[in-house]
Amino acid sequence: MKKEIIIKHLGVVLLLNGVFLFISFLISFFLNESSTVSLLFSALICGIFGVFPLIFVERTEHISFNEGLTIVVLGWIITCVVGMLPYLMWGGEFTLTNAWFESVSGFTTTGSTILTEIESLPKGILFWRSSTHWIGGIGVILFVLLILPRSKGQRITIYNTEISSLSKMNFRYNTRKIVHILAVVYISLTLLETIALMVFGMNFFDAINHSFATIATGGFSTKNLSIAEYNNLGIEVIIMVFMILSGNHFGLIYGTIMLKKENLFRSSLAKTFVSVLLIGILLVTLKLYLSGTYDLLTSLRYASFQVISLGTTTGFATVDTIHWPIFTQIILIYFTIQCAMSGSTSGGLKFDRVYIFFKLLGKQIKLLKHPNSVFVSKFDGKRIDEKLEEQTLVFIVLYVAVFFATTIILTAMDIDGMTAFSASIATLGNVGPGFENVSSLGNFASLPDFGKFVLSINMLLGRLEIFNILALIMIKK
Amino acid sequence: MKKTLKLKIFASFMLLIAMLAIAGAISILEFRWLSNSVHGLVEDNYKSIEASKKMVEALEREDSGILLLMLGEWEEGREILKAADRSFFSAFEVAKNNLTENNEESYIRDIEKAYRIYKSSWQRPIVDTDKQGNIVWYKDDIHQKFVDTKSAVNELMSLNQSSMFNEVSDLKEKSKRAIMPGIVSIIAALVFSIILNFFITKYFVNPISELAEAVDNYRDGDKSLRVDISSNDEIKKLENAINDLLQRQVKNFNTSKK
Repeated sequence: MKKEIIIKHLGVVLLLNGVFLFISFLISFFLNESSTVSLLFSALICGIFGVFPLIFVERTEHISFNEGLTIVVLGWIITCVVGMLPYLMWGGEFTLTNAWFESVSGFTTTGSTILTEIESLPKGILFWRSSTHWIGGIGVILFVLLILPRSKGQRITIYNTEISSLSKMNFRYNTRKIVHILAVVYISLTLLETIALMVFGMNFFDAINHSFATIATGGFSTKNLSIAEYNNLGIEVIIMVFMILSGNHFGLIYGTIMLKKENLFRSSLAKTFVSVLLIGILLVTLKLYLSGTYDLLTSLRYASFQVISLGTTTGFATVDTIHWPIFTQIILIYFTIQCAMSGSTSGGLKFDRVYIFFKLLGKQIKLLKHPNSVFVSKFDGKRIDEKLEEQTLVFIVLYVAVFFATTIILTAMDIDGMTAFSASIATLGNVGPGFENVSSLGNFASLPDFGKFVLSINMLLGRLEIFNILALIMIKK
Repeated sequence: MKKTLKLKIFASFMLLIAMLAIAGAISILEFRWLSNSVHGLVEDNYKSIEASKKMVEALEREDSGILLLMLGEWEEGREILKAADRSFFSAFEVAKNNLTENNEESYIRDIEKAYRIYKSSWQRPIVDTDKQGNIVWYKDDIHQKFVDTKSAVNELMSLNQSSMFNEVSDLKEKSKRAIMPGIVSIIAALVFSIILNFFITKYFVNPISELAEAVDNYRDGDKSLRVDISSNDEIKKLENAINDLLQRQVKNFNTSKK
């Protein structure tokens, strides 16, 4: 393994972070905020460490699988480390653990926060916080692929390790084209949402920050009360629309815009995803209405937002779900487990795997009836590879194992069952809020430091799809 | 631009120096702000708090003076009142000229107004009037005005105390911010040195060792110089030069053999 190639690519990752840190610094500088120095210094550190390897390492044509894997995993970890620098240097509520937690939560687009007073943060820090979502949303490494002109071999190696095989299913283009499609859709959605939010009365700063968080399916808000602060139906509808779009496969969104055959309206997976969300909204609305929690329209308004927010792993809130009937909380937990579609900016288990799992379940039931028959699972008319089925099952088992292990560790720290359970699943699925002490309008500040550290590992595992980290450890051994 | 050895080493050290210089400059800047804040803390709030304490002390002495007058001690009572009044005004002037907080001027106006009312009550004769020994007058009129004035002064003191408390909290944050660039740059310099060491070994030391080994092998009979130097700097030039030299030597040797 050529370490110098890995160092060079990690340097480029740092340079990308440096650009966003510098923009955040400019905001702080012009507003004369207390975070000016911490943002400037963090940007300089990124710049220096980014440029340094470029002095030594010559242009390389080939990157091995191991090198690609190491670049992706270390790229995420190093990004999270430099991401916490401005928080740590600024201070306030950011202790070492809190800064690490907030940084990991940002880059992995989880959106869980340790902050109790978000609005007291300087605007520069708020912008950096939202930027971590935006950088992490599309995958730090994909940004790097987009920025640097690279040889085909390099691009494919890194791309293959950054994007799971599930995400590639709806793409029928070469790697270079895919990277550009992802970027174009990502940037266009962000711009469109910013404009739409401004039309409905949000100021530019809040609009761009909320767009970063929505398109990345992150969930960091610039307000303590998240979207509930605005109490504006128009803003909620806009955010819901963009949350659904961001939870879908970007290749399908591109296909829809370009009037291609493979589009959102023809994909059975996308249609099932939206249908499941609608069923969830219906169930939660009815329960909220029938239990007398809210009137029918308010039930529909809150249920829609919360189901879509958790179902797309965004994590914004318009209401605190802590007092909702347990049935509605269970439905929301289901969406926290299911997550959004692969090929989107969401992390976690992914809806595609749940879909394949149910297809596989159907196949097994058929096999019980006709043991000697050969059944083939299909996905939009295409055969699902048995290797993919196997991978999906192994992933689900691993996912559940990690989730249980985290819950046990948290309960060992005397954290109550519901908090431990929901925090584990919400961080592993990169969703954000859970229930009880970490509910939709709450935060993770009250958890012990070790608990926060465990949950931050969960977020990274959820974002890197567990396999990548396992592969890196196994291959190294 | 061709990346020569000189340029690579120079650029690396320049980056390291730039990082440390910036960290140093930021720390100096932060410490200057810190020192200004400490100065401000003493200048702004402490002065007003001390002045408020002196005003309260003066008010209490005036109260004793009034009680002496009520007991018929005219001379001693008037003496205490006069001294306390002077002391109150001198402290009041300090507070009045040290307006540092938002709305502090209105607090000063309140004190001025309350004190004027209080003073007008005890300025009129007390000894040999119906006020002498009149505890009801003292309780209903004088004491109430005394309490009002004291409350107005205490409010000014509270304003400055709470501002001082906030400033101290800010100072804690500022001192942390002043130290952090130093800590971060020490860790960063450490990481930088490790990476620099790796690059120097990889791109300078290893190729030279390989060249030396290849020359040794040539001397021992291996007539091909096999070194793969990927960089495009002076070491690559050295490799080419040695290759060229050895090839010429082989050619000369063959010619002389013929």
